[in-house]
Amino acid sequence: MIRLDPIRRRLLLSVAAATLLPLAWPAMADDPVRGGVLRYSTTGLDTADAHRHTGSIGVVQAYAEALTSIAPDGSVEPFLAQSIDVSDDGLEYTFILRDGVRFHNGDLLTAEDVVANFARVRDNVSRGWLSGAMQLVEEFEAVDQRTFRLVMTEPYAPLLNLLSELWILSPQSEGWDGQLVTPIGTGPFVFDEWLPGVRLHAPRFDQYWKAGLPYLDAVEFNLREDIDKALALRAGDLHIASVTRDTLPELRADPNIDIRFMKDTSWNFVSFNNRSPRPPFDNVRVREAVAYALDRPGFMNFVAGDDGVVTNQMVPPGNFYFDQAMHDADRHHTRDLDRAREILAEEGVNPADFKLRAVSWQNPYTQVAVQMVRELGFEIEHLALDDLGAMQRLGEYDWDIAPFGSGPRADIFMRFIRMMSDGPNPGLWGGVQDAEFDSMVTAAVREADPDRRRQHYLDAWQHALDNYYTVVMGHSQGAIVNRTEVRDWDPGFTYAPNWASGGIAHVWLGES
Amino acid sequence: MKQMVALATTLGRSALLVVAIGILVFFFLRIVPGDVVDVFSVEGDLTAAQADMMRKELGLDAPLPAQFAAWVGDLLAGEFGTSVRYQRPVGDLIVGAIPTTLVVGLGSFVFGVTLAITLAIGAALWPKSVFAVMVNVVNVWSIALPTFCVGLVGIIVFSIWLGWMPVLGNIWLPIIVIGMDIAGQLVKTLHEELKEATSSAHVRTARAKGVHPIRLIVFHLLPTAAPLALALSGIVLSGLVGGTLTMEVLFGLPGIGSLTLNGILGRDYPLIQATLLLLALAVVVLNGLTDLLHTLIDPRPAQ
Repeated sequence: MIRLDPIRRRLLLSVAAATLLPLAWPAMADDPVRGGVLRYSTTGLDTADAHRHTGSIGVVQAYAEALTSIAPDGSVEPFLAQSIDVSDDGLEYTFILRDGVRFHNGDLLTAEDVVANFARVRDNVSRGWLSGAMQLVEEFEAVDQRTFRLVMTEPYAPLLNLLSELWILSPQSEGWDGQLVTPIGTGPFVFDEWLPGVRLHAPRFDQYWKAGLPYLDAVEFNLREDIDKALALRAGDLHIASVTRDTLPELRADPNIDIRFMKDTSWNFVSFNNRSPRPPFDNVRVREAVAYALDRPGFMNFVAGDDGVVTNQMVPPGNFYFDQAMHDADRHHTRDLDRAREILAEEGVNPADFKLRAVSWQNPYTQVAVQMVRELGFEIEHLALDDLGAMQRLGEYDWDIAPFGSGPRADIFMRFIRMMSDGPNPGLWGGVQDAEFDSMVTAAVREADPDRRRQHYLDAWQHALDNYYTVVMGHSQGAIVNRTEVRDWDPGFTYAPNWASGGIAHVWLGES
Repeated sequence: MKQMVALATTLGRSALLVVAIGILVFFFLRIVPGDVVDVFSVEGDLTAAQADMMRKELGLDAPLPAQFAAWVGDLLAGEFGTSVRYQRPVGDLIVGAIPTTLVVGLGSFVFGVTLAITLAIGAALWPKSVFAVMVNVVNVWSIALPTFCVGLVGIIVFSIWLGWMPVLGNIWLPIIVIGMDIAGQLVKTLHEELKEATSSAHVRTARAKGVHPIRLIVFHLLPTAAPLALALSGIVLSGLVGGTLTMEVLFGLPGIGSLTLNGILGRDYPLIQATLLLLALAVVVLNGLTDLLHTLIDPRPAQ
């Protein structure tokens, strides 16, 4: 099990790793070959203005970098910062920038540039994760050429993780005062020709700060949402691509393909309508009965085969925020239909008297979950809708249960916040309105000490479990597979293609 | 004069049709659940307040008539507007996509019509040859095999098993697949028409005079086939829009079809409105042109 250390130790270790890895990398590899164009396809790219992005974080890192990045184990690594110092009260952050980092226009990165980027985000960006964090920023300044200082009004634990998505761009970028058209970053590849929804051509940056990198001449990002990536990988049209789990058997049979997984997991859950609960689910014991009726190992086997992990928690085993005792105390690990029926009888609920409404996406796994509940005798109207249709329907809160899933996040707070009363996109978790839960999460966010913060989060999660707001089915890792000619590649914690200690800057193309 | 009136009537009717399609597209789009802010919300976890603010910024909270008036105003000024998802001028996105669609559409149309006329004439002149068999094969192929199925099989055979061509960006396979479909729709009717023509007096006389088969085809049979081929082409061209869209998606081609689909997936109203209006305009113009050409080649129906 990975046990993450307190933040300072983590950062020191990360500094060493981030500094030494680029130097050590060539020695570990088999004579890297320079040149070639990597064809890459994971997420799309909705905007050229990286500061305004509200998602699509699988491309930007190639041409724009941040002060921090997320390491494969989920910890924070200094990225454009060489070191980070956080005061004991968690209010003051001091970033020492790397020496010799250049923007794609040749300018040296300075602390003044960082100030300009923070100011642009604070003043112009009104949505997304960063806007909430920026509201808590009291002041920031360039202490000298390479030192950037940031002061918060209150401790905000996810800050360093969130800063991994505050891209540092040159203020000389076209459209800086309005909508960025051509971002000038510091990444290993340059934002060149962007055809929205189709492709981004990103040639190598010859003055990249990691000496000798990148090896590739260019990366060609395929941004299409509608292509069959598994077929394209097998045909050799793509080198690296995210694929759905149902395509893994055919890809595993292909000797030219290596299957790899992102290090963070997606989690599946069945939520109840917590904002406007209707009988019989306004009774917590009836929700408990449903939890007994769900065959979670069977469900996870359907979702992820042997790779699925069944647990009752937001994070999988191995994560700092995973609690073994809570996992062991899970009463619903094995399906118990008899117990479920007993509880319903005790509560005087005859399932045949109720017509439930389930809302979900159109994934096959949702049918499996709904069928498990149906076995209790409920009649269920199942509305399986596309992404947006489901989101809109969820927001109407005229439903009873909702089987859904959610992907990797740069910080656990981004999972908790969606169950908070005023959290973003609350529908997937039934729009929980619980001041006690909110205060527990807020306490965690304000806690500078990692162990005490972990305990606050665990308390909040136990509270959510006790109230059966949602039933976690389990976790699975998203697959980002590659052709065998791709060398020195392993997916990171999230969809990011470039981080301090790895990513596409280190990739080269060999023989198949 | 009569022809001018007919032309003006056709143009007027076509213009009205485009306007009606534009209105329908605009209002039908608003019925579809979700808007671009929902897309951003799903991707980037906007709070309700942030989503409301974004709707206001994009003018999506304005009454529908006001939104419609703004769109019409843009169109009259020669602007398609800006993509709300990508913040790029819609005109630029369309200009980038048109060449691919034109190549696939025109390529498959030319291939399909050429194949159909060749097979139909061959089968009419030599009824017991392979041409006659091929007429039926291509016709049944078109009826029985949906283009997306053929395209998928083509990918598996030629791109995965044989490795002869790429999947993404492959232009030849879509042209052949759609072309075969077009040929199948045309060939049977053309063949029947030409079969009758081969037994007509002028062809029989030409044969009796010992006219060379090629001369017979070019000067005696093709003029007979042209009006019918043209009339059928009008119908085929309208269907071509849908066929091209499917192939663009299947083969990852960055054309108008995939641009439209992208717009629909992202609820990018200005983009969808512009592309659908453009496609409607294309269908109307193509139909108008085939009508016009038909009148020029064979003035009898107009008279």
